[in-house]
Amino acid sequence: MRDFENMNPAAVTVHLLLTACITIFCMEPFLLGISMLCGIAFFVMRNGRKHIGFHIGAIGMPVLFALLNPLWNQHGTTVLFFINQRAYTAEALFYGCVTGIRLCAVLYWFRSFSDLMTSEKLFYLFRYLSPKLALVFSMTVRNLTLFRQQMQKIRLSQRAVGLYREGHLIDDIRGELRIFSILLTWALENGIITANSMAARGYGLGKRTSFTYFRWHAGDFALLICTLLLSGAVICGIAKGVTEWQFYPVCAPALRNLPYFAVLAAYTLLALLPLICEGKEALTWKRLQSEI
Amino acid sequence: MLVIRSEKIRRLLRIALPFAIMPAIVLLLPLGIQSQYYALVSFIMVLLALLLFLAGFERRDLGTRRMILVSVMTALSVLGRLLPLIKPITALTVLSAMYLGPEAGFLVGALSAVLSNFVMGQGPWTPFQMLAWGLIGLFAGLLAKPLQRSPLLLYTYGMLSGVAYSMLLDIWTTVWTYKEFTLHEYAAAISTAVPLTCLYAVSNLLFLIVLRKPIGDKLSRIRKKYGL
Repeated sequence: MRDFENMNPAAVTVHLLLTACITIFCMEPFLLGISMLCGIAFFVMRNGRKHIGFHIGAIGMPVLFALLNPLWNQHGTTVLFFINQRAYTAEALFYGCVTGIRLCAVLYWFRSFSDLMTSEKLFYLFRYLSPKLALVFSMTVRNLTLFRQQMQKIRLSQRAVGLYREGHLIDDIRGELRIFSILLTWALENGIITANSMAARGYGLGKRTSFTYFRWHAGDFALLICTLLLSGAVICGIAKGVTEWQFYPVCAPALRNLPYFAVLAAYTLLALLPLICEGKEALTWKRLQSEI
Repeated sequence: MLVIRSEKIRRLLRIALPFAIMPAIVLLLPLGIQSQYYALVSFIMVLLALLLFLAGFERRDLGTRRMILVSVMTALSVLGRLLPLIKPITALTVLSAMYLGPEAGFLVGALSAVLSNFVMGQGPWTPFQMLAWGLIGLFAGLLAKPLQRSPLLLYTYGMLSGVAYSMLLDIWTTVWTYKEFTLHEYAAAISTAVPLTCLYAVSNLLFLIVLRKPIGDKLSRIRKKYGL
């Protein structure tokens, strides 16, 4: 068993996308709350006390959203107070809170997704679709750093030639354009050279295999199957309208029956899967340490 | 995406997606699915459309050189997106499409969207951006001849594609905020995005005016020199 980050990228992608997508397309406050808490817990578990700025943004923006929604939204019957003769209703405030929680949850899940999915892993996923496309993708990623370095070289040599005046805006812009133009010529010629050398080594002649270090272990299959079963159950429940809330004009929660709680339980389990993977790993580590 | 390793399944997918799966979703939409899942359905449709194009890419022989040039142009436009406020992605996509062909244009647009979103932030809007920029490139490639001949047409195309990009992404904004799609709400979304739309159109125009000559000359020179 490995921690969530080192699971097979395909299984991880399916899990995170399903968890986030259910959050996006469902308006059930409790489900959204669970999603948000698990999303935050997973993020904090991986990052500790880092990224305080992201926390402030991701929690602050939804709060703002919740408070402002009643200003635009005039639905709802329970008036709290009036601003400029416009009613500020409790229902609209509640709806704003729910949308805010949804936004916050989605932000956290996608942030974790971006952190986990390095371009190497995305390359691995693309490979299944089209090896050629995967090659273009990985070459582009490599080109990004290459061009930046080359740009720096060009800039230095342009300065050495004396083509800049200090602190002159027009001159700066013209200089940057010249650097871009030089970079473009170089990049195109360099690309052609790369293509020629690829062709010389026999690229495109026959079927090729590509190297990857991601494999399918039993744990990955377990994660994938659990994800598909649980999210399938949740999506069925949502499609049947089990989690249907009414927000306007009066707030009416979904019926509290067995299917409702089943959907909530299934979603909780789904959102907890990454935490379980990470937690198990941490426990094993602790135990091994204590045995030394 | 996982099973598409074998050539047979890929071929099956290329036939099944446009002729069976996508029409089925469109037909089933009014029957089985309530309007609140429009967002989900539109998201899935966009993903399928992208999948279709990208799976088809494998079969076509773009040529090694052209493929490498696509990656070069994509890298340049991703670097350009890190500029503040105004983004040259559309301009670079249109210019590469004009000289490298429609498929190359689609790829430059779609790939720059994914790659630059590693910096700008990935989200459910990524497939929409990929499709929007990809289509801008595709049509520019199809219109390559007239666009090369007349700069005026090119500038008009650039401004129109800024507007079209904004309107395409507003479809996403509408279904995501309102959970349904009516013309009224769509109009509201478009009208709130007017400043951004103008910004897109103007920055496209500016970049095309500045970049048309140098990039066009370089690309056509490379094409002539190496016989692409």
